[in-house]
Amino acid sequence: MVRDFSLFTSPGMQRMPNGDPHAAVACVHDAPPIFYSPNNTRDGRGTWVITRAKDQRRVLQDTATFSSHRSIFASALGENWPMIPLELDPPAHGVFRSLLNPLFSPKRVMVLEPVIRERAITLIDRILAPSTSCDVMKNFAFPFAVSIFLGFLGLSDKELDTFVGWGRDLLHGENVKRTAAALAILGFIDELAAMRRKEPAGDFMSFAVGAQVNGRPLTDEEVRGIGVLLFVAGLDTVATAIGFDLAHLARNLKDQQLLRSEPDRIGLASEELLRAYSTVQMIRVATKDIDFDGAPIRKGDYISCATMIANRDPEEFECPNTIDLAREDNRHTAFAHGPHRCLGSHLARREIVIGLEEWLSRIPDFRIKEGTAPITFGGHVFGIENLILEWS
Amino acid sequence: MRIIVHKNKCQGHARCWAQAPGIFNLDDEGYILPGDIEVAERDELLASRGARSCPERALEIDATADALLTRLLFNQARGGVK
Repeated sequence: MVRDFSLFTSPGMQRMPNGDPHAAVACVHDAPPIFYSPNNTRDGRGTWVITRAKDQRRVLQDTATFSSHRSIFASALGENWPMIPLELDPPAHGVFRSLLNPLFSPKRVMVLEPVIRERAITLIDRILAPSTSCDVMKNFAFPFAVSIFLGFLGLSDKELDTFVGWGRDLLHGENVKRTAAALAILGFIDELAAMRRKEPAGDFMSFAVGAQVNGRPLTDEEVRGIGVLLFVAGLDTVATAIGFDLAHLARNLKDQQLLRSEPDRIGLASEELLRAYSTVQMIRVATKDIDFDGAPIRKGDYISCATMIANRDPEEFECPNTIDLAREDNRHTAFAHGPHRCLGSHLARREIVIGLEEWLSRIPDFRIKEGTAPITFGGHVFGIENLILEWS
Repeated sequence: MRIIVHKNKCQGHARCWAQAPGIFNLDDEGYILPGDIEVAERDELLASRGARSCPERALEIDATADALLTRLLFNQARGGVK
């Protein structure tokens, strides 16, 4: 029941050129569907690992048994307050979720589409004009995803590089860097909230400081919990998805050709790419002792539901390690299950599809630049960096 | 065909709506409206695709009503319900 497996230290999880951490992680399906991994968090704690999609669904839908309250951000500062709504459990969770859902609904996201598209086109044209090569992450994926997100928050992208740096340090840095980044983000969010309290600006933070739940305004800690979550959640995820997607298309010219000649397929294909290159791991805390298919989970134990594992489950997906851009019935969990389903999923999906559409319609046949190798890594959030593409 | 909507299971993935926006209606938060959905015959393929796209398994395809109806009609054509 105990296995030497870790998203941080197992083979293929380290930073490496031309790595494929998703394929590496798929090996866990040769093992029992649930096991204990003694070293499976950043700080070396053990977790139960749930490998099957249907078992992860069971965990993530059962919020009474499997709590989200972990204060993962605050703990980097030795504090204890929740990011909201991510680290709240129902029923408190639902109150905040209902407050925020309308801002991120599918219909609301449709309204943003022209802005998203224009941003993609501007960035790609800027790359195309002087060059036949670029670093996708630095020149497209990050500036694209982060600037849309900053626009949403009502912030200019003047400080985009600083923000991206904070996100990188927070998610992937060592302890000292992580704490420094958490402090910087916290200071920034608190200051922004104070400014919007004094003078509302019609942006997200103004909404948060003016909002009411249960007939009362939000507390400072609640505004902070919401602000920090949105800031952190938007910095890394979409850019990373676009990076993995373009790396796949650069290496699989047939797939690239297919989407280039039939752009109508990009929507469905992007779902398959989300499945195959999921990046996020959910962790829950057991609220009581429970026997989970023979696994003796004890109160306080961590339970890992890694999307990149569930999405390679052979019981859920036919030939899970084959990337089939025409795959139908693709109920992948890249945005998780249950009440904590990614709040930004609809925005993320539109950004990914529009980003791929505009990239493919403007950049001719592209490949990984000779002599370069994208660096990938596993961990709590999978990632890719240094993706240098070239075309002629 | 009828789609049974388990509203309490819906978490707003909106994959059904992405497949068939004319069949699955969402509220202002982006979650499915309550109430089962009667699907016209011409929409059955699209509706079943939408139902099968739900990651939470909140949409259930109810074929029993159709089977019942078919049987009734079949029996009626033969002179009444047996």
